[in-house]
Amino acid sequence: MSEPATHEVEYRLARLRDRLAGDDVAELGVRVELRGAAVLLSGTVPTAARRDEILRLARIELAGLTVFDDLASASTDAPERMEELP
Amino acid sequence: MTPAPAARQPDGAVRVAAVGDIHLSPDCAGLLRPAFATLPECADLLLLAGDLTRHGTVDEAVVVADEVRDLGVPVVAVLGNHDYHSDQEADITRALAAAGVSVLEGQSVTFSVAGHTVGVAGAKGFCGGFAGRSAGAFGEPEMKAWVRTAHIGAERLSTALEELSADRCEVRIALTHFSPVPDTLAGEPVEIYPFLGSYLLAEAIDAVGADLAVHGHAHLGTEHGRTAGGVRVRNVAQPVIDRAFALYQLPVHGHGSGM
Repeated sequence: MSEPATHEVEYRLARLRDRLAGDDVAELGVRVELRGAAVLLSGTVPTAARRDEILRLARIELAGLTVFDDLASASTDAPERMEELP
Repeated sequence: MTPAPAARQPDGAVRVAAVGDIHLSPDCAGLLRPAFATLPECADLLLLAGDLTRHGTVDEAVVVADEVRDLGVPVVAVLGNHDYHSDQEADITRALAAAGVSVLEGQSVTFSVAGHTVGVAGAKGFCGGFAGRSAGAFGEPEMKAWVRTAHIGAERLSTALEELSADRCEVRIALTHFSPVPDTLAGEPVEIYPFLGSYLLAEAIDAVGADLAVHGHAHLGTEHGRTAGGVRVRNVAQPVIDRAFALYQLPVHGHGSGM
């Protein structure tokens, strides 16, 4: 597959961001950025299932591009420490 | 910092647990409950800083309500932009209230903790930007409405904080969803700061006074900040604190000096 034109990639990233922020997904905390010729997805989402859903959409929207996945799910553990404010 | 949050608090201190942006939906039922169940051992109250649901539906709010019902500590919440997405914010407020949560939008609530009066003033707030880099109420009606909404949010917070002053609360906490300061947005793209908070909230906090300001909304931001008047600000968005909640111990030394 030939390399997509740079401006086309930029608009495809914008479309993915729009789709993630849209009605059905409602995930505004995901960062979508170019890293060389690949696309990096990063940020923290509530559950592993949401992460899988975002990656599935990204692979559809960004078909033909390499997607690097750096999405994490937030810890749901109680904290080990308390901040003492003076 | 202390390694033992479960220890009894020293006399004259209030322990506050806080989290925002939990974005729950029916597939997440029970996700935070095990951690929340430990709250009576480590905190005097729990603050929820908005974006409690994913799409702002009542079904999702019921999941949130079940997560915090009968915890054994008071629970105080503000709603966030996600909780307004389906125009069901009034029903969401009722669903949370039915589980004992105090949902604030321009109101305050006070509690007695070990003989001290602790007050929380809450409002969702809105975006608009920070001093010198904010939108003005000029031009199209949409632009004016946007800026007016930011002013209304700050006025509601101010009203609620004034109630706490009138009640002579010894510890005063300002709870919002949007950020009052840019400090706690560090990590977010600078270009979107105007969508993440408003300096009008910080101006209200500094004018009336508070001992701590807690907010969410900025998932890529950082936890610690201060207002220009010196009030400590904490971004407790769950992706930022990377825990079920954050814990803060505030000293009780009379009326909040704002410093």
